[in-house]
Amino acid sequence: MPIIIISSEDPAVEEQIAARTAKAVGFQTLGPEVLPAIAAKHAIPEPKLAESLGRTATPWWRRQAKGRQLSLACVEAEVLDRLAPDNIVCWGLGAHLYVLGISHALKARLLPDPARQIEALAGQRGVSPQKAGKLLEGARLKRAQWAQAAFGQNEMDPSMYDLIINLGQIDPDEAVGTLTTAVGYRKFQPMTYSISSLADLALAAKVKAKLLRTMNDIRVQARDGKVVVTSKALQRERRKKTAAIKSLAGEVPGVNYVEVHLINYVIRAAAESFR
Amino acid sequence: MSASLEILLLDDEPIVGKRLKPALAKIGCEVEVFQDPIAAVARIKQKSFDIVVTDIRMDEMDGMQVLEIVREQSPRTKVIMITGYAMIALAREAMEKGAFDFIAKPFKPDDLRKVIAKAAEALGSKVDFSAANDNN
Repeated sequence: MPIIIISSEDPAVEEQIAARTAKAVGFQTLGPEVLPAIAAKHAIPEPKLAESLGRTATPWWRRQAKGRQLSLACVEAEVLDRLAPDNIVCWGLGAHLYVLGISHALKARLLPDPARQIEALAGQRGVSPQKAGKLLEGARLKRAQWAQAAFGQNEMDPSMYDLIINLGQIDPDEAVGTLTTAVGYRKFQPMTYSISSLADLALAAKVKAKLLRTMNDIRVQARDGKVVVTSKALQRERRKKTAAIKSLAGEVPGVNYVEVHLINYVIRAAAESFR
Repeated sequence: MSASLEILLLDDEPIVGKRLKPALAKIGCEVEVFQDPIAAVARIKQKSFDIVVTDIRMDEMDGMQVLEIVREQSPRTKVIMITGYAMIALAREAMEKGAFDFIAKPFKPDDLRKVIAKAAEALGSKVDFSAANDNN
């Protein structure tokens, strides 16, 4: 059976619709409740994991911040692993941004009812509806910046989703009904290709999480146990870095071949040449 | 259905049929190999196979058309799509049109044997894997 990935700018909406959809189709839910287990397994403080997935913007100069990249890679690796058995409704873990190209993952974007959002926020903060509207707009912008910085994805792009439901027009019961109908379509059923693509993504994420413990600027692709790692290095570091990547990546269960592509560290090389 | 699974294998690359026919014969399948989709379709119109394994991108006719013809001619036949150009849209289209499974090339003969076994099970038949104890 497929995976359903629910995302929204409003976590309360994500949680509510995910729980109701899971109940309707008899699936499990996978949400932020797994963060403590991920934190313990990877020895990363839970608040750091939550922050890396958070609703706060990451300025461009912090995009490559090692800690943040590592936290995201650990979450990604663990979530992808947990999606393998399918029959899961996933929410609140940013999966819509890194579960890419998986045909049995139905991605739904829920647009919250703006009037209800404004009313709730105005009541919560004791501000005027106009002020609440501005706060929501600011939060939306920060969220888009985070998605771009963390995963290089524009989460406002409708082509990222199989289904977009406007909860300002469609009530939650109808939304759940639409999701349960859509997930029954044959096109969302798992197949050998999509199952192995998900396994490839999970393996790549595990290798990335492993390498980011000691390195920066890591990109990983995997196919059937073969892994291609792309990174940056100065000319004089190439041999050592290649060997380190091959050794570390080779320790990840399921990896049977590692290829390393190192790009010249142009900025560092230029900086060093001026010393 | 006859005792052994009857399979039509269509791929315009001769090496695919050459490699997969013995791999499937090992598990007791009777395999007819075609490189020309027109000839394969003519055969499909003559005979109802248990399983059709077809490439997607071919010159004269693509695998999606073959899938549609098989579904028309013999709805019980399981169609397995294989392609070197696997993409999410193509995979979903194939499943929507009634493919049993979709495999990206390159794959190991054993990967196909596993899918054949699943298809056989769906047909109420069984595949004997004991003879296929290698990866070739």
